[in-house]
Amino acid sequence: MGREVSESCVDSLLTEMVSSYCDRFYANKPELAARRIEAIGFQVGHQLSERYTMERPRFSDHLEAIKFICKDFWSELFKKQIDNLKTNHRGTFVLQDNRFRWLARMSVDPSSEGGDLSQDNSAGAPENKAAQATSMHLYFPCGIIRGALSNLGIPCAVSADISNLPACSFVVRIKA
Amino acid sequence: MPEKMIVCVAVVGHQNNPLYIQSFTEADDALKLHHIVHCSLDVVDERVNNPKKSGSPLNETFLGLLYPTENYKVYGYLTNTKVKFIVVTTDLDVRDADVRNFFRRFHAAYVDAVSNPFHVPGKKITSRTFAERVSTIVKSFGLSSAG
Repeated sequence: MGREVSESCVDSLLTEMVSSYCDRFYANKPELAARRIEAIGFQVGHQLSERYTMERPRFSDHLEAIKFICKDFWSELFKKQIDNLKTNHRGTFVLQDNRFRWLARMSVDPSSEGGDLSQDNSAGAPENKAAQATSMHLYFPCGIIRGALSNLGIPCAVSADISNLPACSFVVRIKA
Repeated sequence: MPEKMIVCVAVVGHQNNPLYIQSFTEADDALKLHHIVHCSLDVVDERVNNPKKSGSPLNETFLGLLYPTENYKVYGYLTNTKVKFIVVTTDLDVRDADVRNFFRRFHAAYVDAVSNPFHVPGKKITSRTFAERVSTIVKSFGLSSAG
């Protein structure tokens, strides 16, 4: 077995990275910050996939590679597998994690909950902001998935969907 | 009788771009060895695209003996990430298990080298640590079976 990494350190590093890029380096350019964070994830995924596929035979098709991401790759990263995998058999895969580790400690500002009916204008803003901040934390894992798959010879686009925390779905669209 | 010896190793990227090539001979035959490595790339492609015809086990990373020449044997290995490893040896009755073991250690060294955050994917591997590690692996090749 290789070296181990403290989980809380990784959590803090991720939070710090996102806040540095969003609030300091590219304070007024969220798209640019998102792209930079995704690029870091891409490199991480690229390198990890090299390591984690070392002892296994080559994948014969896309589904096998996706399954590898869902099972072995996810287990290495998050000590659990993806909970649900859906596909339309036309190059789109939805990977759902019911308790995504990097969102497990994310909380929405309580003031924004329950008050949304009484004050439409003011209550909508913080909730929106929280969702935006959460989604910023998802560019990194999206990049990891994209990096891993593209290193395995599968160019794709990955986006994340958070409808109810801490569940999270990653949508992988393979480029034909 | 030549000793069990690896004369050349190479790492080739997924677009057949050379990432690392190193010969281990005293003689001035680097060009010849590079030529042998170059030729072997076609054999790798053929093995991978027609796995049935060549009879190699399906999708195994170790591709086995690619082709023998008069003085050398050339072995290949293809990772999941489509990176090719080629090794040229002067030992004409080398054991498969030794080569497999060599490739496994070589692959591990490669993974460590490309995990360096300063390494640019797709560029040549310039790490001195990697070069040292590879030459250690090359030197120890076949020693275990000799003893």
